[in-house]
Amino acid sequence: MRDGDAPVFEPMNNRRDSNRLLVRHLLLPTIFLTVALLGGLRVAAETGAFLFLAPPLVALVLAVLLMLLFARGGLVNLRAWFTSDHASLTNVSHALTLLALFFASAQAFNSVLPESGLFRWLFAFFFLWTLWNNQFAHFDARVTLRSLAALFGTAFVLKHMLLASIYAPDGGWLKRLAGALVEGVTQGTFGVQESFAPATGYISFFTLALYVLGLILVPSAPDTDERDAPQHEATSLVSRYRQLPDGERALLREEILRTERGRLEDEIHSTRTD
Amino acid sequence: MQPNLIKSVGVAWTLLYAAFVIWIYATAPRTFNEATTGASVVAGTYAIDEARFRAARELFGREQYAAARDEWTRADPAMRDARTQFYIAYAFYREGWGRVYNDDALFKQGLESIERAIRLSPEGALRVDDPELKIHSAAELKAELQQGAESSLGDLNPLKIVRERK
Repeated sequence: MRDGDAPVFEPMNNRRDSNRLLVRHLLLPTIFLTVALLGGLRVAAETGAFLFLAPPLVALVLAVLLMLLFARGGLVNLRAWFTSDHASLTNVSHALTLLALFFASAQAFNSVLPESGLFRWLFAFFFLWTLWNNQFAHFDARVTLRSLAALFGTAFVLKHMLLASIYAPDGGWLKRLAGALVEGVTQGTFGVQESFAPATGYISFFTLALYVLGLILVPSAPDTDERDAPQHEATSLVSRYRQLPDGERALLREEILRTERGRLEDEIHSTRTD
Repeated sequence: MQPNLIKSVGVAWTLLYAAFVIWIYATAPRTFNEATTGASVVAGTYAIDEARFRAARELFGREQYAAARDEWTRADPAMRDARTQFYIAYAFYREGWGRVYNDDALFKQGLESIERAIRLSPEGALRVDDPELKIHSAAELKAELQQGAESSLGDLNPLKIVRERK
């Protein structure tokens, strides 16, 4: 690099760092707190009044499991988020962001959980089942994100489209019939779902979209340059390699040697000549 | 921009926004109007609608107590003005008062309003200098409402019918 290049790239780096800081310390908490605000918002069908529903206990439990999954899946690398190398202000800001993420997660669940009846417990059970199973599966950040988007998307469709349609007060005879059949199967234990104004579905959709956007923006390790990402991936790959059984390790070594033998020999040769 | 400045602003903004979210869930406003009224109370800029207050006072003077209460409720939607709450309680008293018996339900609502007025007034001492009223202090109105709402042997006193409404 020529000496004259430095001033050209320096301001760009500063701007990039500055934007990254703005995203991490301002935009992310704003997104997650907005999700926390809107996740419990319903609009009454008859009066159009706002109803703010605080997250139920089961949503908090689900949020705890989700946070554990974030940590396990590498979406949030806690050691990088909280370290003694950071200034206390940075650690405080990170703690607030993660706290906002926790409440946003709880409210995202609150947004897609039916308000009452057996459906509420069915949904909660399936969420718990999925999250608990995922704790023991191998996930990376991207897979975790995709899995979560699918999970919330499915729950949204079930609650705000299917259930809302079945229990809509102005639903047609087919909807009423379907409602009556479902009700009859369980002898009324499904309970009557509260009907909300269509705006509730739109608010929930916006909330979940915002939540997923927030998750996409969350850096796994805040103060790591993106250029170090391949190195992180390599470290992760090595750790995964060490978890493999002996047979699979041998298979992997053979495959690497088969494709990389030439390059490895060149590297060894150049090291010896140096 | 300085990194520390961004972080400080971020922390302050996050705390402020979080407080707003908690406040919204604690007060649970049902409309945007309720939310803005609540916000103005928190900001200390809340003021009652004087025009509505005067209109309600006129209705009160014409003995249209229910209508007057409605107007006062609209004038003070956040129920934060001690004087308006005093008048609402007074309207409950006037409407609920009877020569033979009092309307207990209205008197109880009146008690709630006057207790609110006392809570809102500094040191709990509220005085309204309205020449058309016979009761001027909140404590006196509260005593009158409490006495009227209670059942006692005095209720059987035939001389009760000669007492006058205040």
